[in-house]
Amino acid sequence: MMKKLRNKFITVFVIFWCLAFHYESVRHFYLEPLFGRPLPKIKFLFPPAGWIMFYQVDKAYGYIRIFGMKEDQSYEIDPHEVFRVRTIGFDNIHRGVINAAASQRNSRAFCQHLRKRFKDFDDFKILYTYYPDFIAEPYARYQQLLYGCGG
Amino acid sequence: MKKLWDRLFLEERPAIGLSLFRMVVAFTVWSVVFPSLVHLKELYFHGSFRELNGNFFPIWFLELVQKSPDGLVTAFVALFHISVFTLFIGLFSQVSCIAVTLCCYYFYALNAFHVSTLSWDILLVTMFLMCVTGYHGDYFSVDCLRRKGEKPWERTRPFFVQRLLQLQIGFTFFYTALYKVSAQGNWLTDNPLFYVLNYPAPGVTKMFLLRDIIRTMPNLVYWSGIFIVIVELSIIFFLFLRPTRMAAVYLGIFFQALLFLTLDVPATFFFMFPAMLLLFIDPNEILTWIQKRQRIHQSSDRPMLLFDGSCGFCKWSVEALKKMDLFSILEYKNVYDYLDSGKNLPAGLTSDHVLKRMYLVENGTDAYGGYIVFRRICWHMPMMYLLIPIIFFPGMGIVGPLLYDLVAKNRKCLIKSP
Repeated sequence: MMKKLRNKFITVFVIFWCLAFHYESVRHFYLEPLFGRPLPKIKFLFPPAGWIMFYQVDKAYGYIRIFGMKEDQSYEIDPHEVFRVRTIGFDNIHRGVINAAASQRNSRAFCQHLRKRFKDFDDFKILYTYYPDFIAEPYARYQQLLYGCGG
Repeated sequence: MKKLWDRLFLEERPAIGLSLFRMVVAFTVWSVVFPSLVHLKELYFHGSFRELNGNFFPIWFLELVQKSPDGLVTAFVALFHISVFTLFIGLFSQVSCIAVTLCCYYFYALNAFHVSTLSWDILLVTMFLMCVTGYHGDYFSVDCLRRKGEKPWERTRPFFVQRLLQLQIGFTFFYTALYKVSAQGNWLTDNPLFYVLNYPAPGVTKMFLLRDIIRTMPNLVYWSGIFIVIVELSIIFFLFLRPTRMAAVYLGIFFQALLFLTLDVPATFFFMFPAMLLLFIDPNEILTWIQKRQRIHQSSDRPMLLFDGSCGFCKWSVEALKKMDLFSILEYKNVYDYLDSGKNLPAGLTSDHVLKRMYLVENGTDAYGGYIVFRRICWHMPMMYLLIPIIFFPGMGIVGPLLYDLVAKNRKCLIKSP
């Protein structure tokens, strides 16, 4: 009797789990275009857009550089010193973690973090280095000042 | 249909593979979360730079967690350290797993910045499945030493958790490949792998051997990419087909090792996926292999462990050793079997010797007593492998025997003999 009940519970769980897993796997890229509207996401589990990894890579590349300013001199700051989390088995900075942190929408919080972290500098400049096509023109790169933190 | 469903999810099989996987999960979670806890003030305390994941969490939950005082953060850090350790050693396995998962959710909601990756989401899905039952505490655990029953590795459980984990990894590969060739993926129409290999510094590619040669061969790289997609798309079928299963497991492990060596992507893939692929090995086959090894050892001249059968603590320890002795390496003998029958003890031992400490007799002639016994047997019992660094730690040759003698002297006070 108990075994039967247990198996029923397991069966219900397995069905729900499989439905949820596959729904979240295809929701963003397949179901939403199909229905033409955003569909609800299951909170607390599953990535926002399915199991995507390096699924679309092109010839453009960009990264963030951070400069500390002191008495009209600029000093480039090693991004590993900005966030000191030393991940095991890989380099978080190479994964582009600074790009997300230093984006325009985070500018206030990021500047606040820099001021706390590097007290010696008067100001900080956040630069974006951009390669429009690093295959055809590997040395053609552009730099853009994203924002300054202000003194 | 019902028969197939039963075979897939409800059939009872040993949970020994799942138990080993539990240790891998605990280590993997620790490897991701621990580095972020080193700089608590910078990452999690009040006023730290934070990123909130509103896609993953409902807003009310994020708001609630953001109100945490620093003391609560510290309490969660302590809970994480304790529960990840107890999960690893398998003490209250299910409760520990739930506690670790709660801590993971808490830190993720507090600041998603460092942990928020696809691999982290995969890890959380895995953790959720591991929380559903405590089957993973059946072996390689303190729980199995606490429970009654002689052969914990033979205990059978419904297979559904392991099956769902198999499906999870199989479909993760499948969908990863599907996105590369459909939706917005460009692995068929372009050469993304070639671009990844040629990223300017800092880039995401590690400085691996042959990188400079491979990155100049776009055609080779393109077809390698196509090969990767084909493998990812088809591996789920090869994993579930018995004749191709082991080849697919090896291929999957090789693929993860390659990923780890060449790209700066979270090591979670490298730590967890190979172990997850090994879950495709049928636990019944593992059990058959164990039993075969046990029969081989039982029919040969095994080292004999002599213990004091009148002491409750000694009997409890021997019961624990028997559970750890997965391959039946040892023969366990109560010294009173010799003393009461007037038979001579082996290897020239006397009653004075054997009533003071336990002895291991090898080849019928070589006797080792006390702490040395642990140093001899730890190489043969998989459950003791993790203790090897402690047993052989510099200085343990002096401290170990002292501790052993202290326990041996007071053994009758530790657990009363029934």
